[in-house]
Amino acid sequence: MELEVDENDLKAAGAELFAEGGRRGIRINGWLIETRRHSILNSSTFQEWEQKLDTSHLPEMVFGENTLILKHLSSGTNIHFNAFDALRGWKQEALPPVEVPAAAKWKFRSKPSQQVILDYDYTFTTPYCGSGTIEIDKDLNEGETSKETSDIHWEDCKDQIDVVALASKEPILFYDEVVLYEDELADNGVSLLTIKVRVMPSSWFLLLRFWLRVDGVLIRLRETRMHCVFGGSTNPIILRESCWRESTFQALSAKGHPFDSGAYGDPSFISQKLPIIMHKTQKLVISS
Amino acid sequence: MSSSSDLDRQIEQLKRCEPLKESEVKALCLKAMEILVEESNVQRVDAPVTICGDIHGQFYDMKELFKVGGDCPKTNYLFLGDFVDRGFYSVETFLLLLALKVRYPDRITLIRGNHESRQITQVYGFYDECLRKYGSVNVWRYCTDIFDYLSLSALIENKIFSVHGGLSPAISTLDQIRTIDRKQEVPHDGAMCDLLWSDPEDIVDNWGLSPRGAGYLFGGSVVTSFNHSNNIDYICRAHQLVMEGYKWMFNNQIVTVWSAPNYCYRCGNVAAILELDGNLNKQFRVFEAAPQESRGTPAKKPAPDYFL
Repeated sequence: MELEVDENDLKAAGAELFAEGGRRGIRINGWLIETRRHSILNSSTFQEWEQKLDTSHLPEMVFGENTLILKHLSSGTNIHFNAFDALRGWKQEALPPVEVPAAAKWKFRSKPSQQVILDYDYTFTTPYCGSGTIEIDKDLNEGETSKETSDIHWEDCKDQIDVVALASKEPILFYDEVVLYEDELADNGVSLLTIKVRVMPSSWFLLLRFWLRVDGVLIRLRETRMHCVFGGSTNPIILRESCWRESTFQALSAKGHPFDSGAYGDPSFISQKLPIIMHKTQKLVISS
Repeated sequence: MSSSSDLDRQIEQLKRCEPLKESEVKALCLKAMEILVEESNVQRVDAPVTICGDIHGQFYDMKELFKVGGDCPKTNYLFLGDFVDRGFYSVETFLLLLALKVRYPDRITLIRGNHESRQITQVYGFYDECLRKYGSVNVWRYCTDIFDYLSLSALIENKIFSVHGGLSPAISTLDQIRTIDRKQEVPHDGAMCDLLWSDPEDIVDNWGLSPRGAGYLFGGSVVTSFNHSNNIDYICRAHQLVMEGYKWMFNNQIVTVWSAPNYCYRCGNVAAILELDGNLNKQFRVFEAAPQESRGTPAKKPAPDYFL
């Protein structure tokens, strides 16, 4: 998935691309931005994760080594995205299961006293909006250094991501899309967590998207956007905007949209049709 | 009526991943219907035989499967359904398997998966692919009519039971499967639904219900009871992605075989087929996705995505 990038654009921005193994990325304006893509977890690691997360079920396709890392080099600020932390968020939220349309019929043929009814949230919905740490090299007395890690602090704010600037067709120096996990809901829909990043001469922008369609029942989108304008000498500020949208098929149909699941294959297309149920913006001021 | 030479040309064409003309598809489906209508819901299969799991329209990876397992008719094949949807080449995949069925009816057996359905294919890709490649839904209609004629299961040398999904609380004997009227759209509940949709579940010992509120889960006791009642050595099924290509459960009483490597063109998983020799000795043949150069189209460079 190699994007064709104009060498002149890279030079003009003082940027450098790299790629090795499953890692690829860009160094630009004091940032190191990197993605890693690998296979889904093998069976033994999958079981390990089930134990660590204390669950009997995980998404069928867990891309356990896939990640996006954004490292601000001078401050040691590290923002990253990975499947494990996202699934930890899923486990903590623990929404009740969503019934599929056929469930109504099955109530009459099931015999509850004779069987186990599993009740975990099979949609794998997560409130996850990224992981962050600050690594500071601390000088010890003997000239040794040790890494000290602390959490980054996001504060609520009323700023908004500059969509107009992002809509302009500035050259893209680096682009990638990474899947963190996916489940086909046993052929009853789709649950998919992906992260997309693009890096321009003036800024980087990313979109973490959780996309759920339970066929005939529910569509849910949870999106987190982050934008950082490269500021030259001033401390970088990152804006983070979280937006949750959700609608039942019934509600969509009442508004004149199709009831048919085949019409809802692309979350970008249907996003604006879904009502917002949560929206907030936060900012992170990076101190060097 | 197609002659053998017409069929051979069509097979060669399909092997190049070139779809047939609509009129040829119609004729092929009519011929296939005549063959499939004679098959049992529990179709008898002789060993040696090679059992294949889900393909999901990954045509070039299916070609890789034939490289590993050998060409039909020299190799006798049993495919456990889910030929279509999700991959880019469901049309060429299903039509090649169907053409091989018509040409060598005793050397390839196709049973039905839950994706061989009008409702499912309208959501998960096959319908859209037919519309895109043929400009109308006629081919989709011909193919989904054929889906209704596919067998529900297979029995190898009376010892190995094969099915796409799994078991049903409405079925304890093979004769109960034989009495199902299979020539219909896959129903949302009942025995036929269960055979194509149910899953084995480690944390359930008897029967369980999925958290979706529909869909049976079966445990080790159910498999033990079914295998014992029907004098079966083990069950071979498909339906679920397994990273290593195959997976045994319940003290080797049931095995899942998965035959779509690098599933959805991104999972990086290997796939497997199960070779049974004349004495039912087992060998799993594990294989990887077809290399990029053997796929027809070059890998797409992604256009810059100005996502917002």
